[in-house]
Amino acid sequence: MSNLLTRLEHRRAWWMAMMVCVIATSAAAQTRQTPAEQRMAWAQKAIDANPKLVQPHNDLALALSRRARETGDPSYYDRSERELATVLALEPSNLDAKKLHVWNLLGKHEFGKAREAATALNKQVPDDVLIYGFVADANAELGNYDEAEIAVQWMLDMRAANLAGHTRAAYLRELFGDVDGALELFTGAFKRMAITEVEDRAWILSQMGHLYLSIGKEDNAEAVLKQALMEFPRYHYALYNLAKVRIAQKRYQEAVGFLRDLCAALPHAENVYALAEALELAGSPEAENTFAEFERKALAESASADNANRELIAYYADHAKNPREALRIAEIERGRRHDVFTRNAYAWALHLNGRHREALDEVNAALAVGIQNAEMLYHAGVIAQSLDDASAARDHFERSLSVTPRSPIADAVRERLGKLKTDARP
Amino acid sequence: MRKSRILLAAVAAALVVTGPTGHAANHREAPITALDHKADITDFFAFVSYGGGGAGTHVTFILCVDPFQEPANGPNWSPFDPDILYEIKIDNNNDAVEDIVFQFRFATEQRLPNLFQVYAGAGNGFAAPANSPAPVPPGTPIVPPQMVDFNSPGMGQRQSYSVTMVKDGFALPVSGPGPFYAVPSNVGPRTMNYQALFNQATYTVGSGIKLFAGTVDDPFWIDLGAAFDTLNLRSTVAPGALSAVQDAANQNVASDTVSGFAVNAIAIEVPIAMITRTGAIEPASSPAATIGAWGTTSRPRTTVRRAPLPAASSGSYSQIQRMGNPLINELLVGTGFKDRFSMDQPKNDSQFASFFLDPSLARVVNALTAGAVAIPAVPRLDLLPVVTYRPPIAASGTPPGPVADLLRLNTGVAPTPAASASRLGLLGGDPAGFPNGRRVFDDVTDLALRLVVGGVLAAPFPGFDPSIGGRLGDGVNVNDAPYRTAFPYLADCPSGRDRRHLDPGEPGCTAGAGAPCPIF
Repeated sequence: MSNLLTRLEHRRAWWMAMMVCVIATSAAAQTRQTPAEQRMAWAQKAIDANPKLVQPHNDLALALSRRARETGDPSYYDRSERELATVLALEPSNLDAKKLHVWNLLGKHEFGKAREAATALNKQVPDDVLIYGFVADANAELGNYDEAEIAVQWMLDMRAANLAGHTRAAYLRELFGDVDGALELFTGAFKRMAITEVEDRAWILSQMGHLYLSIGKEDNAEAVLKQALMEFPRYHYALYNLAKVRIAQKRYQEAVGFLRDLCAALPHAENVYALAEALELAGSPEAENTFAEFERKALAESASADNANRELIAYYADHAKNPREALRIAEIERGRRHDVFTRNAYAWALHLNGRHREALDEVNAALAVGIQNAEMLYHAGVIAQSLDDASAARDHFERSLSVTPRSPIADAVRERLGKLKTDARP
Repeated sequence: MRKSRILLAAVAAALVVTGPTGHAANHREAPITALDHKADITDFFAFVSYGGGGAGTHVTFILCVDPFQEPANGPNWSPFDPDILYEIKIDNNNDAVEDIVFQFRFATEQRLPNLFQVYAGAGNGFAAPANSPAPVPPGTPIVPPQMVDFNSPGMGQRQSYSVTMVKDGFALPVSGPGPFYAVPSNVGPRTMNYQALFNQATYTVGSGIKLFAGTVDDPFWIDLGAAFDTLNLRSTVAPGALSAVQDAANQNVASDTVSGFAVNAIAIEVPIAMITRTGAIEPASSPAATIGAWGTTSRPRTTVRRAPLPAASSGSYSQIQRMGNPLINELLVGTGFKDRFSMDQPKNDSQFASFFLDPSLARVVNALTAGAVAIPAVPRLDLLPVVTYRPPIAASGTPPGPVADLLRLNTGVAPTPAASASRLGLLGGDPAGFPNGRRVFDDVTDLALRLVVGGVLAAPFPGFDPSIGGRLGDGVNVNDAPYRTAFPYLADCPSGRDRRHLDPGEPGCTAGAGAPCPIF
């Protein structure tokens, strides 16, 4: 009996060892290759075996586009486009290639072109759920929210539980002021997302972190963002939002740390701007040079579709004290799109240039969409003050505080609100 | 890449799996319905009643859903889905927008939660015998009696339904002296008296309306396997064409693939005067005589905006499927458009006009027969009467309205007695048959083939050969089970114990292989 037990123990130990090996191997594989990298490798192998086959080129193009999002490196879109060119040379009517091209246009912020291409594809294949998503994406970015909503509703109606539809509906809910509803959809999407799709899971969690932060729930935001970083280490969306959480918590040095990591990997202008703002809040003498670095980078790409013009407007408006330049950039951007964020930036620039009535129209148009955004409400309050509408100003300030009670904006709102109350006393 | 919150997440997998979809089978014509059998409309019928007290004065509408139900498929069988809104819609002013809607909603009771199947019964019931082990004492009822009505103790799953008529923006309940029950699947002769249940489930209510709902024999018939094997029909005279004798016979030369299967059917008979725009029975020559009808299934939807925020897309239901004319979505609409067609409204059908007026099926037949079946030039204006209000269905002077898939019915055309009716409807010289409405015994497979290749609804075109193009058919001329001759006209659900599905090479009836199939 004891021998048998010993053998069984041995056997169990052996199995346990094997299981550890399997798990370790699996974990190692996961740390070695992301989902996109894995698919890139598979596709490349298939292409090497038969370069004339269409599908592997499509697979590689898709993997490259996914890699662009994983890394934040837009050069992958160019590589993806080269693969698509190969596909379309072999098979000019290939639908998957045309769809992925729209995805790449969106990734490169060519929203007008993306809208045009997506709409044409939608007419060509009206049953393709994802094409409605592209129509929605482009319209949402351009500020055509009614069109975006119709497209997303089609997605939900055609496939009630499709993840792509739910994530887009969540974004629209946020824009329409229904953050709880957005979180509901994102939570459901996360639960149904395959555990192997670690980047998709991290993306959803990052969006949830952003939403929690937008309603002042920093603890929830921190929890989901940390989970995002566990799913996909050093994920740029998560790092960015976690830095914002730290700023809301007034833990500026930690925010600087996250943003330094982000900028080391992705020294894009808007990331540099976020770092400069954090440095400023932390009282660091580096802030000035970092803002200067941002300005150089942002101006260099200002005329391109993929730019940091919103940050540039904010920089000129709030840091460089150059309202004329802020308005110049804002007018360019406003000519391209009329989404709520662009309208907000334009309104602020108009206000700083003394064009309060136009500023009011712009910010009101943004708020009419329904969005509950603390900064936007603050701007609306300040603009109302400029027009001597103390009642509207107070209302906007109070709403701003109720949305996000802790943030650098919140401190400014409190100050203004306090002064309004003081001035109102007889 | 910027931090713009553009929504590119959660799409990569979908991008991979979302591509051109495969051709769906009959009864599952669109991908969305292939995924949602309960909401899948198999057939829609509308005809001037030809039997019973309503003959000539009433119209019968029948909506069938949930294809290929196997009557032996216990322990739950296939009830109506309480989450689905079933609707029959009627346009009576030629604009392809519904003016009258009949809505059907179902509710399910589970009355025997401890029983291992939802229906049970035998004879007068069986009790625990003398040797029954404790704690069940001998004599304790164990097996309930055969089910003979909707209160039978063995009816563990009972479905009732409500009916609402929506007209001029007002919703009016259609109510009777008691609940309306739906007939369950025919489990077998020991368990239930299906005929008794069927008869009890045929209700006559106020305003001359009759109602029925339940599981019945699939009233459709077709050699489905041959049809979807790229029209590999079994006719021997010419590719896909029947001989004159075969065409004239009420017998089959190929097997009915849906034989022995059941569907869930909703039937309603209403006075003609209730549904015409004038509120009267109009003569066939009147532009007000012709209605357009279609059936829909809808499910509650998730909306971008949550209540109480106003939704840009109105309504709390999302349409899953619709059907007006038979086989339109299956045979004409492209695979990349089928869902959109299913979910859109008939008034928007101009977007599908190219499928209707240059049907690819016609070109397929033309190619497969190496030109033996000639087809007319496009646009196929000869098909306009099927998708607009025009003669020979509608009277001259009827506003044609937009291109829309509605089953058009001239309510002024007198019904043809069942005994003298033609399975080929209008094309067979029977003015009360398809495409003037659709009766249960109209052979819409053969009719659709002949309509699509042309030469039958309008004057023959050069090259048209009536012995080929005019005799296309799948060789299944009649259903495998006899229809009733009065409301609700449908045949009994095959018995789960004894049902039979005919195989290729068995062209006869389920009642006897090789035997002629009685129509009524």
